[in-house]
Amino acid sequence: MHIPDGFIPFWQCAIYYVILIVALYFASKWARNNLDEKRIPLLAVLAAGIFAIMSMNMPIPFGTSGHMVGGALVAIIFCAPEAAVLVFTVVLIIQALVFGDGGITALGANVLNMAIIGGFVGLYTFKALKGTIGIYGASGVAAWLATVIAALACAIEMAIAGTFPLSIGIASMVTYHIFIGIIEAVLTVIVIMALEKFRPDLLAWNKNKIAEGGQ
Amino acid sequence: MEQRDKTLIIVAVVICVIISCLSPFIASGDPDGLEKSAEDSGVPEDVATEVFASPFPDYSYEPLESIGEVGVLILGALLTLVCGFAVGEIVKRRS
Repeated sequence: MHIPDGFIPFWQCAIYYVILIVALYFASKWARNNLDEKRIPLLAVLAAGIFAIMSMNMPIPFGTSGHMVGGALVAIIFCAPEAAVLVFTVVLIIQALVFGDGGITALGANVLNMAIIGGFVGLYTFKALKGTIGIYGASGVAAWLATVIAALACAIEMAIAGTFPLSIGIASMVTYHIFIGIIEAVLTVIVIMALEKFRPDLLAWNKNKIAEGGQ
Repeated sequence: MEQRDKTLIIVAVVICVIISCLSPFIASGDPDGLEKSAEDSGVPEDVATEVFASPFPDYSYEPLESIGEVGVLILGALLTLVCGFAVGEIVKRRS
């Protein structure tokens, strides 16, 4: 769901850039208080992994394709949507400037959809469900919902921009992303399973347990 | 840096290289959800522009075809890794 240049009028891009700047302010504040030296490699590795996985478009019905985004994944691992904002700002700037994927003028809107909305919806869905259906079930549902809601937000932005009407936008974007969300859910659960197995110390909820005197 | 963090980075780089080697051959060329939605509503193709001319548009390096795509993807993943580290170092916790 990378919005290219030309889909959003410049003055609206400026508004999304203001949102991006505010988000980066909160993200750097979060990092100053929470991002310890130990978890910088994790942040960098997630950025690189997300860059790579975004090239892997998988076919879904209706002659459409989709790839994992990863906003929910980053927010869940760090227990902070702010981490997703940092990761996606890096990934999306590189994709826009070096590979022409997503417009540089649409950067603010793309970070809003994939990191801010994706991250918040992902993290809070995860938090709400993990007590009842466990961390894997919760992260799967969270990743799926994050993808669908981000697609819905994208459709609304396209309607505000006048690129395509809300009715078609919602019908198409949401329909396609219901399927793309399944890819997102499966890969998100796989990554969290792998981390829980090999590096449980990197997952925010385990870290809190250790901090509370567990272990 | 701890040994297990080095291992994490090595494993991640290996995964990125594997994905980069496979993507050009198995990734679907169909339009993505947003492109397809634009098509559905009859948005002309030339509406999507590029304000900044990127060196490797569509993750490709034409002269080398598929090998070029693998190369630019690996390059992109490594660049992202380095930038991720740099950003992390800049914003990290100050005690």
